[in-house]
Amino acid sequence: MDEIAIIAPEKRLFTPFNIVSGIIVLMGLIITVIRFTKGLGAVTNLSDYNPWGIWIGFDLLVGVALAAGGYVTSAAVYIFGLKRFHFAVRPAVLTGFLGYLFVVIALTYDVGRPWRLPYPFIMQSGTTSLLFEVAACVSLYLTVLFLEFSPAALEWLGLKKARKLAVNLTIVLTIFGVILSTLHQSSLGALFLIAPSKLHPLWYSPYLPVFFFISSIVAGLSMVIFESSLSSRFFIDKMDSAHIAGKDQLILGFGKAASVVLAGYFAIKVIGVSAGDNWHLLATPYGIWFLVELLGFVALPCLLYAIGVRDRNLKLIKWTSLLAVLGIILNRFNVSLVAFNWHLPSNERYFPHWMEIGISLFIVTLGILVFRFIVTRMPIFYEHPDYPEEH
Amino acid sequence: MSISRRKFLGLIGSAGVGTAVSNSVFAASNKHFTGYPESFAVLHDSVRCVGCRQCEEACNKVNDLPEPDQPFSDASVLDKKRRTTAKAYTVVNRHDRAKDGIAPVFNKTQCNHCLEPACASACFVKAFKKTKTGAVTYDASVCVGCRYCMMACPFDIPAYEYDNALSPKVVKCTMCQPRILEGKLPGCVESCPREALVFGKRDDLIKIARNRIARYPKNYVDHIYGEHEMGGTSWMYLSGVAFQKIGMREDLGIKPAPELTSGALSVVPMVAALWPVLLTGVYAITKRKEKIENEEKNQAVNSAIKATKAVAELKIGEALAKAEKEQEEIVEKAVKSAVDNAVKANTEEAA
Amino acid sequence: MVITRLTVVLTVLAVAVILYGSVQAFDQPSQDSGQKRADIIKIDGMKSFGNLERSGVVFLHDLHTSALQKVDKDCTACHLSDNSKLSLKFKRLKDTSKNEVMNIYHDNCISCHVEVAGKGDKSGPTTCGECHVKTSAYVASGQPPTFDKSLHYRHSKSQENKCELCHHEYDNSTKKLIYKEGQEGSCRYCHKDVNEENRMSMKSASHIACIDCHQKTLKNKMEAGPVQCGGCHDPDSPNTINRTDIKNIVDVPRMERKQPDFTMVKTDVNDKEQKGVMDSVPFDHKAHEGYNDSCIVCHHKDLTSCSSCHSIEGKKEGGFISLEQVMHNPDAKESCVGCHESKKKDKDCAGCHELMGKHSNNSSNCGKCHMEQVGNMKEATTSHKSKTDKSARLAEMMLKSRTPITATYNDEDIPEKILIKDLSNKYEPVEFPHRKIVKALVNNINNNKLASYFHAEKGTICQGCHHNTPPGKQPPRCVSCHVKQAQDKGSFKIGLMGAYHLQCMGCHKEMGMEKPVSCTDCHKEKAHEPKK
Repeated sequence: MDEIAIIAPEKRLFTPFNIVSGIIVLMGLIITVIRFTKGLGAVTNLSDYNPWGIWIGFDLLVGVALAAGGYVTSAAVYIFGLKRFHFAVRPAVLTGFLGYLFVVIALTYDVGRPWRLPYPFIMQSGTTSLLFEVAACVSLYLTVLFLEFSPAALEWLGLKKARKLAVNLTIVLTIFGVILSTLHQSSLGALFLIAPSKLHPLWYSPYLPVFFFISSIVAGLSMVIFESSLSSRFFIDKMDSAHIAGKDQLILGFGKAASVVLAGYFAIKVIGVSAGDNWHLLATPYGIWFLVELLGFVALPCLLYAIGVRDRNLKLIKWTSLLAVLGIILNRFNVSLVAFNWHLPSNERYFPHWMEIGISLFIVTLGILVFRFIVTRMPIFYEHPDYPEEH
Repeated sequence: MSISRRKFLGLIGSAGVGTAVSNSVFAASNKHFTGYPESFAVLHDSVRCVGCRQCEEACNKVNDLPEPDQPFSDASVLDKKRRTTAKAYTVVNRHDRAKDGIAPVFNKTQCNHCLEPACASACFVKAFKKTKTGAVTYDASVCVGCRYCMMACPFDIPAYEYDNALSPKVVKCTMCQPRILEGKLPGCVESCPREALVFGKRDDLIKIARNRIARYPKNYVDHIYGEHEMGGTSWMYLSGVAFQKIGMREDLGIKPAPELTSGALSVVPMVAALWPVLLTGVYAITKRKEKIENEEKNQAVNSAIKATKAVAELKIGEALAKAEKEQEEIVEKAVKSAVDNAVKANTEEAA
Repeated sequence: MVITRLTVVLTVLAVAVILYGSVQAFDQPSQDSGQKRADIIKIDGMKSFGNLERSGVVFLHDLHTSALQKVDKDCTACHLSDNSKLSLKFKRLKDTSKNEVMNIYHDNCISCHVEVAGKGDKSGPTTCGECHVKTSAYVASGQPPTFDKSLHYRHSKSQENKCELCHHEYDNSTKKLIYKEGQEGSCRYCHKDVNEENRMSMKSASHIACIDCHQKTLKNKMEAGPVQCGGCHDPDSPNTINRTDIKNIVDVPRMERKQPDFTMVKTDVNDKEQKGVMDSVPFDHKAHEGYNDSCIVCHHKDLTSCSSCHSIEGKKEGGFISLEQVMHNPDAKESCVGCHESKKKDKDCAGCHELMGKHSNNSSNCGKCHMEQVGNMKEATTSHKSKTDKSARLAEMMLKSRTPITATYNDEDIPEKILIKDLSNKYEPVEFPHRKIVKALVNNINNNKLASYFHAEKGTICQGCHHNTPPGKQPPRCVSCHVKQAQDKGSFKIGLMGAYHLQCMGCHKEMGMEKPVSCTDCHKEKAHEPKK
């Protein structure tokens, strides 16, 4: 009797979450119709000067960076042998998979003729383009993530043979995933290498690909922490004892790693400024903005992570992960929007249309909904009882 | 005249055939490229330009572009700074130089047809090509519409049909490639009443430009914009005032766009080749560590067992010895007492 | 519940968006130009002792002079005197050491400001940051004054030809300034841009000498030249020396220094016979004095003849610049050709000459200056005794023999109107007022002695438009050289449409004509053009 009483309210259709997400989905669908009937001009503030807006700046650049948790966690567990965090692989891989999936979905809104997205592979390949590399790696990595995630789905479906095959591929897929991630995470930064005259010199650097790659590790680690703290609040009923017992260790371990990587990231950002000899630009408004990013969203989280790990202060680490994630978002926005086209007069600059924000929200909401659908059904936060200790 | 014209047409023909036959276009590769020999170009002399916008009108006509909001004869259009759009491949802007005490300067903007175009280098479906005539052409039939070309172009030239829902194109000046192949002049060049635009072989135009600078040294800045900018362009400019003052960037450098990304691209195969080695190595080390750990564990367990066994055996031995001793003692005692008893009994008997 | 997560995402977006907006806001360049003043002195002399600790002080000199005048103080309030001459430095004669100079400024400036403020008057700043400002509210607009013929005349007249008041030479043996009559020259011959041993810079010399004299004259209650900065350095000041009503003295008399009226410029002074060299050039010295503001325009180093430094081979005194170069360098303003070239830039001339490009002289012009002597001229000079007089007389005669004929063909040979029909598909034909234009140009030439001498041939004026053809009554039509296509692809020769527009509009622009502004100023709209 008691059990039924607890579950019953969950099944109610009109929870606040459902209402809000329902509205967003409805809005998203309407904007989708406008987008594909009236064109990009009707729903975006994109212009000939500003061909890329938040659908690239947020949905693609931020989306890919924040979905880095997948390769970071599986590399940590399978390649570096941190087996005690094994329970965290599936949620991270799922987030990664969904992240990339929705990046691709978001791209179908942004590109002019989305059905031609496979053209670089089937018509003619522009191999001199970094975007080609990004496209190739993202599509391959999406496949890899799908395969990495497939055991959970196959367990849910009860397809034991197929599942066994997929599980056997784990280590190969993990290595493949790290290679592809290294390539496309850095290539996203390298996309901007071709426009030194448009990107502010404080952000433009020949090291852009390195910046993007290193910061993607920070993003991956921080997202796993951030997400694990959210999941343990909302999906704790889905978690098995191993997961619950290990998550604090996970937060401490990943926090420590994030602190170290952030320190390295800070160092190479400083090297970037020195290499370009751009110190004098720090005194300009853009320089102050750069310092806000560097000190407030790189140095500060680095320090806070370190303090949190030393004091075993889980709460601090969790909040720091949010700060670090915001820092990554800020960085990607700065490179793609704020410091891009900085030479143009302000009336030629880009500011997103509300419908662009609407689609971004729509995609994020869809991602959350699918995530919820999967974790409530498939063995993500727990081991499937039929396959104990099989890794 | 007739000879030069025939030569000209012959050249056009060969250039056309060349473009059709050869698929390997180096202009977007990472090799240093100084332009196709004998390729065509246009020289724009802003000292001669009077802002009549005949070029805009001609461009509109030869490319069948939609009628503009304000007619071409309306000079008030020049009050605002304009850029190329999906409906205008070229625009003329007026730059007021009252501060320098001179009359306004007019400057025409359109695709500069770089020798090594950033757009071609950036396109992931090779929709842009530097052709042997000098024109950078665009193939809408493969374009996905990612607009990376627009991001890449240092001159902010390509425009996009944002209002076209299903088949939007990137739009830019074609240098009138079809007309060039027919032996005609580009529309704008043909229409310019003051020959502020000159069409010809790039090498010849550079000579003409130098000649003008030498002949009218006070009228020109001693620089041919486009001779080296971004690795050189097929549309070059002369000016009487600093190019920066007529809306042209002088900070672009002379490095062609493909060189900017070649470093990052060259790293790709290295990562693809070395990462598996590295990661497998790390994996192997991890595995080995695990294995060693396991072995050590087993050993420890074994030795522990052995030690316990030894101790146990020792104890048993001791116990056995003790027991034997005790046995002997007991026997001895028993014998003794039996002897004693017998002695006692004998003495009692005797007494 | 999950709403919390959604809020987090929303906040992230919002924060980023707001931050981004704020970046746009602070990217506003501010451009404010300061007030223009001619009396700005930048106090940064301590630079000579090393880097300045704070930015130099922008000092408004006239502001202080006026303020001091009101309280009956004169220059000695700030300037010490040395041998009865005021030092240009503030409250000192010499720059001793950094600290000392700095203290002189700090002590004196601030104490005076405090004192004035104490009396309740308007006063200057007393704190560091008020004087040492990084960006001043003022912009220096002072211009170097020119001491031209007219100003010289005003001075010599008021000083009753006492040349020694200004002109002097330094005698090395007595170490004194002496006056040598007949050796007067421009101040700049000795006083250069910077102080040299026994020679003040032009700046110091002029400020000490001029202002000192003006002060004394003023004390004697006489009319005097300016004593404030603006008087000499601000062309817009109401009491400037450059005031046009004073400056424009009609017919300023010549500066007399025994210079010739006429002279014969020999092409090689060492060649007595003047054979195998270019003919000598008769030169109207007097007339050229009238064309220029001062002697220094041509006599750039001293008042001797050109050949004393510049020989046919070139010598050290003349920097190895040969006589030929000196006379013909088209880019040097001191040279004959250079000065005459610059006249082509006048509005009346530039219409034709600008389009011809740089140095468009042809060899047929040589004889215009290097005149051939006519036999009886030499004989006419025999009565003169000295050689100089002889050649001067010869030069005068040769120059007088020149008869500037400004003429072109008779009216009936000049077509009155020409119809240009080449763009008749778009416009009505252009009616070109050919004869009217010719007459206007002839009129311009008539008003100019130089021009009329060089346009004496009947066909010369025609060649302004009908270029690259032999002069004659019937020059070939434009189309015979300029093809009808938009552009001559083979030769890059300008096509017909380009030729017309470049020539007509180029000339109109150079001559400062307002029209044409639009196409229809020349091309009448077609009567009833069918709209497409």
